[in-house]
Amino acid sequence: MSLPTPAPDDGEVRDTPAEVDAAFRTLRRISVTYFLVFLAVVAAFPVLSLTLNWWLDSRLLGNLSPGFLTVGVGLYAIFAIIGIAAATLSSSVEQRMLGTQDERQP
Amino acid sequence: MTSTAIVTLAAVLVIVLGVSVITRPRHSSTVDFYLAGQRVGVATNSWAICGDYLSAASFLGVAAAVYVSGLDGAWYAVGFAAGFVPVLLLVAAPLRRYGEFSLADFLGRRLRSDSVRLHSVGVVQLVILCYLIPQSVGGGITWDLLVGHGILGLSPYSTGVLLSTAVIAVVVASGGMRGTTWNQAVQFLLLFGALLWLAVTVSADGFRYGDAVENLSQEPLANPEFTDGDWELTEETNSIHPDEPATFGEPGARYGWLGQVALVVTLGLGTAGLPHVMNRYFTAPTGRAARTTTVWVLGMIGIFYGLAVMMGTAAREIIPGAVEEHPWLEELTVDGVLRVPEHALPVLGRIYGDEAGLGLIAAAALIAAMSTVAGLLLASAATWGHDVYERHINPRATQRQAVWVGRASTLVAAGIAAGLAIALRPDAFTPAMPSLVATMVTWAFAIAGSALTPVVVLAIWWRRTTAAGALAGLISGSVIAIAMFLTASFMEPGALRELFAAPTLVAAPIAFALTILVSLRTTPPKEADSDWVIMHGTAADRHAERMAALTLRERRRRKDGPNAR
Repeated sequence: MSLPTPAPDDGEVRDTPAEVDAAFRTLRRISVTYFLVFLAVVAAFPVLSLTLNWWLDSRLLGNLSPGFLTVGVGLYAIFAIIGIAAATLSSSVEQRMLGTQDERQP
Repeated sequence: MTSTAIVTLAAVLVIVLGVSVITRPRHSSTVDFYLAGQRVGVATNSWAICGDYLSAASFLGVAAAVYVSGLDGAWYAVGFAAGFVPVLLLVAAPLRRYGEFSLADFLGRRLRSDSVRLHSVGVVQLVILCYLIPQSVGGGITWDLLVGHGILGLSPYSTGVLLSTAVIAVVVASGGMRGTTWNQAVQFLLLFGALLWLAVTVSADGFRYGDAVENLSQEPLANPEFTDGDWELTEETNSIHPDEPATFGEPGARYGWLGQVALVVTLGLGTAGLPHVMNRYFTAPTGRAARTTTVWVLGMIGIFYGLAVMMGTAAREIIPGAVEEHPWLEELTVDGVLRVPEHALPVLGRIYGDEAGLGLIAAAALIAAMSTVAGLLLASAATWGHDVYERHINPRATQRQAVWVGRASTLVAAGIAAGLAIALRPDAFTPAMPSLVATMVTWAFAIAGSALTPVVVLAIWWRRTTAAGALAGLISGSVIAIAMFLTASFMEPGALRELFAAPTLVAAPIAFALTILVSLRTTPPKEADSDWVIMHGTAADRHAERMAALTLRERRRRKDGPNAR
């Protein structure tokens, strides 16, 4: 059994290939940009550890070093922020670029 | 068996079976059995995904890895949490919009190839098996610690493996995705509650995170090793600065720089190829809901892993000082350091909550293992029951037949996993590996991230992807990953071994490159353009949202009575 391909036929307007293609290109740019930010954040740890003594030797919040704080707490917060930002932007792009003809219907 | 153990086990059983009975499926269709009718809301689905994802490896394994390796152990937590960022950015919404029942089914239909579907089934089954075994091991370890007795002449470990796997196999086979979803959601909340209780209790007793890390880093990191018939503490080698001792608060106790990056890439890319997690996205009502669900998941697992790392640190700091007051710790430790690092959280629970505390943490560990086993068995059922039986063996199968094949394959997969878990007793591994449970799960992530993720991402984002290209990616990714992590077992410690043990950094780029190269030389499916409209368009989402709004309005109208406007 295959799931039926969604085919709204109750007066709603399908997306046209041209609309979808434009939205797809924008979404791809957003995804790639945030993915690069994500990679940079993860790769920053070994780079900072190698280049800055301060990264592991100094003490910040709760007497933890910036390095330990990053691995113990900071990275999870950054992942969540990346997620919220990317999801909000992607959904807003989809809303702006797709389904605009639906709104014009009575 | 103590009264605490009896109460704990009874509580776990009541929760699992109670939720299953309440949420039992009303229909016998494959959409209901495998996809819970595609009506799972954001909150429920995000809890269920967390329950599915946060396995024994996350609950017992991450704390254990931190306990053994300090900051280096925390890389497991980072990698596990990082995995949902690529899922959110690259997979969740388009995958759901395209629909289907499983990852293999998605690839088969998108690339119009039965061969791709069947090869994907093979890779998916490998991933499931690599993931199932450590969960069953987690169940066995917990039973051993909690109950300490076997039944029918079996060892306590084997009894735990068999019972935890059997209970959840029966629940999945009878409850399908609907029952499993609610079970996983409730189980995640209990798991999270148990970890939170431990963190609050330990902190209230005076544990200070920063001071503990500082204190533990004052002396070289040493762990028990079984040599010449006796246990003794052995100092860990510093992989980054070999002439300096490894310490808890600095990198190097387990990995060099290359090893750190390789591990995070392996775990981070692997999540997008995990069949039991990705299948959950097909249960969301829309692509947008799938995306929002992932944001919730990112937030919740971030808190969970942050707490798990903190508790691994707490166990290392607290247990040595507790041996004198708690004589039962003597047989579990060597000079105050646990022999089996997976015991870190249960032991901490017993120190602070006595038998009841041990019972709570043990129940959470059992629940963690069981909820992941549930997802894995269901993913296995979907591949055998739908992708193989319904698609290839008996395309004319009735809904009832397809569901029964899914149920039967659930029981077979559970039997195989339990048998292998018993064959791989953890004591044989522990001295050689920081955390058996987490390490075995890494293999599943390696295969998923090296073979499935590259092909799935390209199928979603690159129109030119072809069936031949996908086959090249699937085969090369899985073969290279397996060859590398098996070779790692025979290598001397060093940067190369770390890279081989977490092979996605090498295997995934090769799989990506081969998929692209072969695709460029072959013809893509002619339906790619219409697939694009389904995957990247939002017409179906808008339709579903409009229908949901109409249904709600209608319900409200009926509730308010005939006079309501």
